[in-house]
Amino acid sequence: MPERVKPLLLPLAALLAFEAWMRLAAVQSDSLAPPSAVALALAGALTDGSLLTATRDTLASAFAGLALGGAIGLMLGLALGLSHILDRLMEVTIEAVRPIPSVALLPIALIALGFGYRMEITIVSFACVWPVLIMTRSAVGGIEPRLIEVARVLRLTQLDRIRKIVIPAALPRIFLAFRLAAGIALIVAVTVEIAINPLGLGAGIMTAQQALRPDLMLAYLVWIGVTGFVLNTALMAAQTTLFGRAALIGDGA
Amino acid sequence: MKWSVLGWRLASFAVAAGLITLWQFAADQRLISPVFLPGPDRAWASLMRGFTSGDLLTKLAGTLTHMAYGWLLASIVGVALGAMIGSSKTMRAYVAPTLELLRPLPVSAIIPVAIAALGLSQGMALAVIAFGSLWPMLLGTIHGFAAVEPRLYEVARVLHMSRLAVIFKIALPSAAPDILAGMRLSLTVALILAVVCEMLAGLDGLGQWVLLSARSFRSADLFAGVMLLGVIGYVTALAMDAAESRLLRWQAARR
Amino acid sequence: MAEPALALVQSSPSPARAQIAFDNVALTLGGKAIIDTISLEVAAGEILCVVGASGCGKTTALRLAAGLYQPTGGSVRFEGEPMRAPRREIAVVFQDYGKALLPWRTAAGNISLALETIGMRAHQREARAAELLAKVGLAGHAAKYPTEMSGGMQQRLQIARCLAQDPKVLLMDEPFGALDAMTRQGLQDEMLALVASTGATVVFVTHDLEEAIYLGDRVVGLLPHPGRVGLELTIDLPRPRDQLATREQPEFLRLRRALFDFIKASE
Repeated sequence: MPERVKPLLLPLAALLAFEAWMRLAAVQSDSLAPPSAVALALAGALTDGSLLTATRDTLASAFAGLALGGAIGLMLGLALGLSHILDRLMEVTIEAVRPIPSVALLPIALIALGFGYRMEITIVSFACVWPVLIMTRSAVGGIEPRLIEVARVLRLTQLDRIRKIVIPAALPRIFLAFRLAAGIALIVAVTVEIAINPLGLGAGIMTAQQALRPDLMLAYLVWIGVTGFVLNTALMAAQTTLFGRAALIGDGA
Repeated sequence: MKWSVLGWRLASFAVAAGLITLWQFAADQRLISPVFLPGPDRAWASLMRGFTSGDLLTKLAGTLTHMAYGWLLASIVGVALGAMIGSSKTMRAYVAPTLELLRPLPVSAIIPVAIAALGLSQGMALAVIAFGSLWPMLLGTIHGFAAVEPRLYEVARVLHMSRLAVIFKIALPSAAPDILAGMRLSLTVALILAVVCEMLAGLDGLGQWVLLSARSFRSADLFAGVMLLGVIGYVTALAMDAAESRLLRWQAARR
Repeated sequence: MAEPALALVQSSPSPARAQIAFDNVALTLGGKAIIDTISLEVAAGEILCVVGASGCGKTTALRLAAGLYQPTGGSVRFEGEPMRAPRREIAVVFQDYGKALLPWRTAAGNISLALETIGMRAHQREARAAELLAKVGLAGHAAKYPTEMSGGMQQRLQIARCLAQDPKVLLMDEPFGALDAMTRQGLQDEMLALVASTGATVVFVTHDLEEAIYLGDRVVGLLPHPGRVGLELTIDLPRPRDQLATREQPEFLRLRRALFDFIKASE
């Protein structure tokens, strides 16, 4: 069997079997729909624009949260990576705040900010701070000591040292941090929408479920999966073109 | 050397205490409305009250139970399935690409599907938590089993080791770092999904507690719940650290 | 002159005498001939060294002898029986010791691995592991992980694990190739002493021609593309051998010259 066909076999067989089972057994269900009906619902939601609006809302919140949280994480990460003293002083505080699951902040954000974008963006940014902070800190802290020596021999100012040596050297890992944070941003945004916020893809899938439209619900599920996959693939491609294949080494998550 | 470490720890605690004092000050001066931000004193009092009356303890136990059941189920299924797929080249060729395709799916998106199938029930929460925590473990185990040094399999052949011995003495220890990393990630996922499911389905747990506290504007209770959720996250991470340093002592030797 | 040598190489092996016998062995992998008919015998207790230019299939030949590969033509026999799979009495010392040791087991644990498969009890295993560690000069390192040891120590550990199999044959694939010159010479002498005390047969693959002459009773030179036997030298240097004296003997230098010329011509 040709190598390229093998990966396709399992999903195709599963879809066909599912379709056949739904049709032959004439299953009536509030939670399942045959793949063909899901495809129709997906096409419908795409043409009437509702799915695209929802996607825009979710991605807007996710990216705004990523930008905000990522910026905070980057600043803190740079500061902690550059200053050993600051790093040690902030250790307990960071270790105390970091383990709080992002969704636990949901009720706080809800009473402080109400429903809508602001609340969602706040929670997403809280979730995005940590991966960026931690990976930036370790990237900056782990720069080849020889480069720092070069900077000292060249008598660079502190600012030049950061601009010309530290950031370029740490850039591949910082980009990786942002890529991982982008995945987290999408997950948290969708989760917040499903839990409470009447906005975007998460709210769309909840509405479809409450309206007893399994076809539309599963269409949303598929679409959310596609969104996640496309985002991941695009960022991965960007990383490879920007930093070469070597940048993907040590990329476990 | 020991003393300087201790000194830094103390200084670090002092910074944290300073920040808490700042928070207290902000609350006392009503810089931020007490409806949103209770002082640490009120949050602490609420935490203590919740513990003595037992309310908060029940909720804590609820969340821990949801997490534990879902995570354990996912661990067993994830490691067994991952070992099966990871140790067979054929299985990997057919199955792994599909799993990679599903990897970036935000797992919370299956909550509505689970609600539709199982209703707003404990079973739904268990299914969602187990499904969500399954992925990191499954993918970690597959990777770990696939990355076993082929030379070690040859050593096993030369030594005439049984299939079972190869799994338990070669493959499993070799994959242990990847499996444990997956388990760590799964714990975080399990906590988040437990909270969300409790919020949505009104199940006994801290998720429900914080949401109800917010709805009735009891911000001290809300903060007490959030703090407790942070403690769960911290303690589970600490437990994973302990497990890793015990099981992966040989990796520490490498550094 | 060439006739008798050819006859010797191609002669049908007599199972009674040979412990390991290659009988017209050929191996084709993926449509490419890696080895095209090797016939060779190794007597019990002999130290046979195999040399050759890269691509001559010397490592492949060793893996055939270990039963890790099956020949696509001819047969490999051990004590007259065809090799269908690896056998416990044939131990393999791999070149990449870093990959062949279990990083999650201590030195004692790595030796124990070989003892567990024969169902030895825990306290016996411990005693035997300590004994073997002492034998290879690693007494006192039982609790160390391989990553805490130098390359030379790791290779000693691998040899100790092989000895735990109570092998009749030691197959060694460039075991000292990755080590520095001083460590290598030390290990050569230790290995000779160990082998002399156990009486095991050794097939030793190396790219170091002097090492081959220094260690071997016999040296076989393989020709590349596809691998086949091109030269066979009997080494009549007295034992025990000495790093300085042996290497200065005229006979050593003559053999060295012959082997160099052979490799040069085969490239």
